[in-house]
Amino acid sequence: MMNPTVAILISALATIITRLLPYYAGWLERLPRFFAKSLRLLPIAALGPLIFPGVLLDYPDRWWAGLGGIAIASLFAWRKNGMIIPILLSIATTWALLAL
Amino acid sequence: MERPLTFTQGCRDGLPIFIGYFPTALAFGLVCRDLGLRTWQAILFSVSNFAGSGQFLAASLMGSGALLAELFISVLLINMRYMFMGAELARKLDPTIKGWQRPLIAFGTTDEVFSVAVLNPSPLPAPYLFGLEGISYLGWVSGTATGFLIGMVLPPLLQLAVGVTLYALFTILLTQQVRQKGLKALALAALSGTIHTVLTVVLSVPVGWSFVISMLSATFIGALIIDEEAI
Repeated sequence: MMNPTVAILISALATIITRLLPYYAGWLERLPRFFAKSLRLLPIAALGPLIFPGVLLDYPDRWWAGLGGIAIASLFAWRKNGMIIPILLSIATTWALLAL
Repeated sequence: MERPLTFTQGCRDGLPIFIGYFPTALAFGLVCRDLGLRTWQAILFSVSNFAGSGQFLAASLMGSGALLAELFISVLLINMRYMFMGAELARKLDPTIKGWQRPLIAFGTTDEVFSVAVLNPSPLPAPYLFGLEGISYLGWVSGTATGFLIGMVLPPLLQLAVGVTLYALFTILLTQQVRQKGLKALALAALSGTIHTVLTVVLSVPVGWSFVISMLSATFIGALIIDEEAI
């Protein structure tokens, strides 16, 4: 694994650049519409690869343990807002599936 | 009567953000613990980044052994929306705000802070923004530390199960997007997830680059197909 402190600071640098730039670069206000629309889609498109295939590969002998966890999280998040309950239920489900 | 935009008012407006951030940061603290970071590194993460999705993405890439360049580009891309929020917020700032205060205000701009701040009439004074951003920052950093400390007392099998936290969190975010924006959001995420799976598992492309490629190609295809109003 890369040096975690360096990685954390690199991530901070990338974040700070995006936040500071608009205060010093006027051209950002004149970007084409297609680009602006793409930027709204980008965070949604990021979610797919953040879930798959990692959730299956992290539990190589019991791939269904992670899958069961996120299925429960999704089910509860669909019915109600809030994060902590679906996350706790997801951990509990994966825990149970690993312990079985 | 218009509300005076004081520091105290900023803190008051930021309180719901504090309450919202704390549990999410708690989950992030657990993720840091799962990654094998030290306490101070987990806190440094939230202190120096202060960005929800960017941090979760960086943590995920660190765990999968991506390169620093891959991490840098991915975090830059996912945080690009801050440029547009910043451009909008910069226009509404009180023109008397001093040069050294601007970078501080810029640093504290998150999705939630932005959406609360721009609802106020302009010009926005610095003390109000410092209150609003400060209380949100406090929620994010203290939540991370608390989550990390909770993670330390868990038994081993439960610690393994806690590894699902990050995936659960992304799944919840996706579910919320699907609820708000319909099945198009799901189709978009499914497309990028499929591209990423094929690239990494079948073609053995390094995970960080594969992430960038799948995210950008799905976004491009999505922007071509999906209507402006649907997003």
